[in-house]
Amino acid sequence: MKNILLIFLISISVAQVNPVNALHDNTPRVFVLENGKIITKPGKVIDSGKIVIRNGIIEAVGKKVSVPADAYKIDISGKTVYPGFIESYWKRENNKPSSMDLGKEKKKNKSHPVTNHWNERVQPEYRLIDDFQPKEKELETLRSLGFTTAQIVPDKGIFRGRSSLIHLGNWGPESVIAENGPAQIMAFEQGSWRDKGYPNSLMGTIALIRQTFYDAQWNNNAWTFYNRNRDKTESPDLDRALETLSAVVKSNLPFCFETGQELAALRVQKIAEEFDLNFWLKGSGYEYRRLNEIKEMNTFVIVPLNYPKTPDVDSWEDALDFDLEQLRHWDQAPDNTARMVNAGIDIALTSSDLKDRKQFHINLLRSIERGLSKDDALAALTTIPAAKLGLSNLGKVDKGYIANLVITDGDYFQKDSKVTEVWIQGKQYVIKDEPVHDVSGKWDMTLSGGLNLNATLELTQKNNKFSGKLVVDSTEIKLKDVENETHRLAFTFPGKDLNLEGVVRLSGTLQNKFITGSGVAPDGSEIKWTAHWTNTIESKDANEKEESKKESPSELIPLFPEGAYGFAKPPSQTKKILVKNATIWTCGSEGILENTDMFIRNGILEKIGKNINVSGNDVYMIDASGKHITPGLIDAHNHSAAFAINEGTQSVTAEVRIYDVLNSDDIAIYRQLAGGLTVANILHGSANAIGGQNAVIKLRWGQTPEGILFKEAPQGIKFALGENVKQSNWGDDYTTRYPQTRMGVEQIIRDAFAAATDYAEALGLDGFEKKSNQGNLPVRKDLELDALVEIMQGKRLVHCHSYRQDEILMLTRIAEDYGFTIGTFQHVLEGYKVADRIAEHGAGASTFTDWWSYKFEVIDAIPYNGTIMNEVGVVTSFNSDSNELARRMNTEAAKAVKYGGASQEEALKFVTINPAKQLGIDQYVGSLEKGKNGDFVIWSDNPLSSYTQCEQTWIEGTQYFSKERDAEMRNRIADERNMLIQKILTSDDKDGGKPMKPNGDSNSYFYSCSEGGDQ
Amino acid sequence: MKRFIFAITFIGFLFASDQIPAPRQAHPILLKDATIHTVSGPTLTKGEILFSDGKIIEIGQRIARLPDNTEIISLFGKHVYPGMIAANTVLGLVEVNAVRATRDFAEVGAVNPNVRAEVSYNPDSELIPVTRSNGVAIVLSVPQSGLISGTSAAMMLDGWTWEDATLKMPVGMHIRWPRMTVSHSPWIRKSPEEQKKERDQQLKELDEILDKARAYAQSIASENTPTQKMDLKWQSMVSVVNGELPVFIHANGVQQIEAAVEWTARQGLKLVLVGGRDAWMVADILKNNDIPVIIEATHKLPARRWADYDTPFKTPLKLYEAGVKFCISANGGSFQAPHQRNLPYEAATAAAYGLPKDEALKSVTLYPAEILGIADRVGSLEVGKDATLFICDGDPLEVMTQVEQLYIQGRKVDMSDRHKMLRDKYTEKYRQLGLIE
Repeated sequence: MKNILLIFLISISVAQVNPVNALHDNTPRVFVLENGKIITKPGKVIDSGKIVIRNGIIEAVGKKVSVPADAYKIDISGKTVYPGFIESYWKRENNKPSSMDLGKEKKKNKSHPVTNHWNERVQPEYRLIDDFQPKEKELETLRSLGFTTAQIVPDKGIFRGRSSLIHLGNWGPESVIAENGPAQIMAFEQGSWRDKGYPNSLMGTIALIRQTFYDAQWNNNAWTFYNRNRDKTESPDLDRALETLSAVVKSNLPFCFETGQELAALRVQKIAEEFDLNFWLKGSGYEYRRLNEIKEMNTFVIVPLNYPKTPDVDSWEDALDFDLEQLRHWDQAPDNTARMVNAGIDIALTSSDLKDRKQFHINLLRSIERGLSKDDALAALTTIPAAKLGLSNLGKVDKGYIANLVITDGDYFQKDSKVTEVWIQGKQYVIKDEPVHDVSGKWDMTLSGGLNLNATLELTQKNNKFSGKLVVDSTEIKLKDVENETHRLAFTFPGKDLNLEGVVRLSGTLQNKFITGSGVAPDGSEIKWTAHWTNTIESKDANEKEESKKESPSELIPLFPEGAYGFAKPPSQTKKILVKNATIWTCGSEGILENTDMFIRNGILEKIGKNINVSGNDVYMIDASGKHITPGLIDAHNHSAAFAINEGTQSVTAEVRIYDVLNSDDIAIYRQLAGGLTVANILHGSANAIGGQNAVIKLRWGQTPEGILFKEAPQGIKFALGENVKQSNWGDDYTTRYPQTRMGVEQIIRDAFAAATDYAEALGLDGFEKKSNQGNLPVRKDLELDALVEIMQGKRLVHCHSYRQDEILMLTRIAEDYGFTIGTFQHVLEGYKVADRIAEHGAGASTFTDWWSYKFEVIDAIPYNGTIMNEVGVVTSFNSDSNELARRMNTEAAKAVKYGGASQEEALKFVTINPAKQLGIDQYVGSLEKGKNGDFVIWSDNPLSSYTQCEQTWIEGTQYFSKERDAEMRNRIADERNMLIQKILTSDDKDGGKPMKPNGDSNSYFYSCSEGGDQ
Repeated sequence: MKRFIFAITFIGFLFASDQIPAPRQAHPILLKDATIHTVSGPTLTKGEILFSDGKIIEIGQRIARLPDNTEIISLFGKHVYPGMIAANTVLGLVEVNAVRATRDFAEVGAVNPNVRAEVSYNPDSELIPVTRSNGVAIVLSVPQSGLISGTSAAMMLDGWTWEDATLKMPVGMHIRWPRMTVSHSPWIRKSPEEQKKERDQQLKELDEILDKARAYAQSIASENTPTQKMDLKWQSMVSVVNGELPVFIHANGVQQIEAAVEWTARQGLKLVLVGGRDAWMVADILKNNDIPVIIEATHKLPARRWADYDTPFKTPLKLYEAGVKFCISANGGSFQAPHQRNLPYEAATAAAYGLPKDEALKSVTLYPAEILGIADRVGSLEVGKDATLFICDGDPLEVMTQVEQLYIQGRKVDMSDRHKMLRDKYTEKYRQLGLIE
């Protein structure tokens, strides 16, 4: 903070090093602004006061301030003065294109300083200020909104670099407040799915962030170590990024993360906790959706005012493509700031994220109409960012503060007010040149000479442009080409209505409220005229119109998640549940029990049997006569509920985690609940041999990403073999990445475990013999190797995508060589050919029921696969690998009866207890037995029947789905859509600054990758 | 041994099925003591059905007089159903979708009215026995791609050659309706403006195609223009412009459906709608114009995030209630060709969500036969129709039901398939190892 101040003081002092060009400029820089209304800080008003400015600093402010003799007086009566606004997040392109901007070809030739980080998206050492060349026009735009100071932030990369603080006056060395600004800028950026460079998924981005923080710590340690052992050890590589980062973390400088939607804020928090970072958020405008969570972070949020454009719902067909979530966002977005402030979150406002920055003022006024108080708005533009960004002598109009001021022709926070000028470092910047004489109003006019008559001249002004008419008796003649220059007024009008053929030209000189002029009639004869001002023109209608269009806050309350099927309040646990007279498929040793009762207390199954009676009016009774009850279904291979699935850029990406990118708002969760699914294993994709870490979730719809996690489930990881890993079906562009054969796949995996073994031995990790690391640099913590070591330690289950028998066999051998057991083979469509080996190894098998022949490696897939493996002794489950199939796992289970003749009881286990065993969660779920989680499904009929319907789905005694509530929600959705569409149709067409693209037939919540993945 | 050969020389032998096409029905067959689900008429418990020379001769509670040398098959507890019809597939036109060499369903170019599905139907495809062993007897093989994809053919899933297998050709001229709305999907590289332009061009092209085809039809009909040369494309469109061959328009979005209805009405064409995801939204238009719908799959996700989770499950019910003629197909995509055996379960899900069960059964038997114009031959058990039927141990719409025997035109189809053979082979492995009995 002190640094900033110091630099600042130097920067505004007139003392310059530069040689003087021509003569010395010693114009006095002492001003007094008089008679203006002064808002010195939020909530503090001086109705008419003076501000004395001396050499860029406010010398005095107040009602009664003595005017220094050397001051130049400026009358600002009728104007309002505010402290200069702070643009807290001016994101601007680097003037120098970075290597990331360049096309593939150019990129190759781009020189990358050898001491830069290996990943071009990691450049914490970068400072935008070093390339910063603002255009005067950009500065003008910001000034016209009242901004006088800004934090400038770089716009590319993940570790984007350091922000800087500048004044927004004419660009020069004195504009710079601090080159090393208050924050390190971060963003969850990644390449598109087509990019071959790491990372190309949000998962990879987060893994890279985490690894880089660890690397910074290591880099520091390594250098310390080296400096002590220079005679024995080789030096670590120079890495400017890690060096900078380590210093930044030590200094506790905030990391300001850009977020694209509200769940991103939650991701930031997790990273910040892991590395004990001081963090800020650059918000998205969606914060209102997770207000409590963001409030609890107790952090500073820089919020954009990017409201969606009014959607086009003119026809019912068009309206179909707008999701309810989008319509609700349209209605609620302008309330975001007020809701944040009311929740007690510290916010600053930014005009970034707006295509047209001018929209900022319009949107701000909308937020004010919707309940953001003017004081809070002002604070978000002045005192709060000043305090957070360390601008200790900015943000107020006060003695000793820098003379950064905004002067407006009315209340900035009301319609039709404009910034007329700003002062920056004691220098005036006029925004709107006001005419010396405001000619608007009614004038009595007398003409003689070439035209002889009396008339009324009516002039109006809009945006500094004048228009008007001439009223002669009752005839109104519209004026053309009205010009109002400093001292004169000129206009023309057609002579037709006065029976003159041609155009009359008049001009005159203004003196106070009087004009003396001359002109030329169409025939060339001279006209003399005078006019004197009589009256203003009333515009009463306009006011009334304005009044009626005033916005009010949205009546919607946030849903969890937002949009269709969200809950106003997430469902809570029913403490005591008694199910009566059901046919219960226990999937345990008791088999299928008819006319049976089940009692669940505090989410745990307490009792199952005939005639259970529990009294008390707090017991929730379910009469299940004629119904079937099964355990909640479990899908051991699912890809819903995640913002990213594949980090396919490298053959080994064990460091990436689905956990980091869980999307608890994915509608797939709700739809799968409606099919009786309660647990899903969310797996990384199969693009690489060793993929990322999976996450087992419970389908707790309405909760946060953290809230849907099945916390007790063992950790796991995805492996993959065969065609996908070899990129066999990706086209001709993908023929060079290692491996391209099953031979290479085996070697990649062996190599990874060999490296992990060396790593574990160097560190002496659990289960490994410690080997000396003497003379070497400290071992670098490697998230990728950590995951592999955990596999060998038996702490991480491998779920391996596999098809052919040769590769299945191969992997069991590698696993045995490295002393671990594969958790599951996934798909494992030729598992029936080596079921004995799988059983002997001890792996589970999670297979498709009947998919085959869609690619070459599955031509031998058969639907009997599951039952054969099961019979030979492999714990076998059926999986979906599909958001759609995951909705009807019960009828998938029936295929074990059809293909292979399993009993119905046994068949259901393929989607209940068997996957539970595979995921290591069978002590909690998978069967209805005493002590297990109260996860159950009520079916209308035999669960294996094609005609059955899932009626209710419960997780730990909490009802997450019921047909009854679904029906209520449908009504609510229909009503709400109708209400919102009517509201849209009757509202003004508002730009809002952010286009609203119809979600169309996308099921995804956030439409584009960029929003889902933040970038 | 055959497996071994296949493994080393797959190019030549891979797709030679091991099932032998059935010979012509040699003698009359009587199925008795079974529940006969005629579909078009009453269901007879413990009924009898007699067929000879591939045709159904008599159905009744008890058939009094049997021809000489009638084979009598008693089926206590069993059920007899007409063979199911998969009305939207690429079966026979693809083996392994990811292997380009086996893809024969999508010709290059946007306008291919002249290509015919039946000629590239591979009767030895391994997919065929797998499909028919679950009671699917007939499929519509449909060309894909472009704007006008070509003509489809109704194929019987048994035969030595494609000519043997063809039940009817052409069945329809398949048109893939342009996307009417702009997609903002990140996967689509074209800008909204480009998309609109492309759509408008395609719509214009459709009109132009019809104009040209009509000009050609007039030209060859006219005696004054003996010099008109053969144009395969327009020649294949003559029956379309004459209103004889229906156009099967693949359209899902409501805007597409509305536009397709308007276009066919304006052009005077016979329309069958395929896909029909949003058809229920404009059911009255479809009803008023007598437009049948081949509903492509109930096993799919709702198209919009805010839609009811069971929207696809209930689409058949909604069309049924509105009085629209419809049938149900499975997903017609080329990756789904191997999975057509699951057709009955698509219908079952519609029944689970409200469609009467008998309607669900009709939606994969009689209704597709009617919509494809083959109801005089198949789709129900009626005297005079083909003896294309199957025997099973329960409701075929239930997954757990086993299909035991299929007859196509009275020919007893080999019920083995690649899956059963591989099952038997590897069951033998575990028997040898003593792991199973």
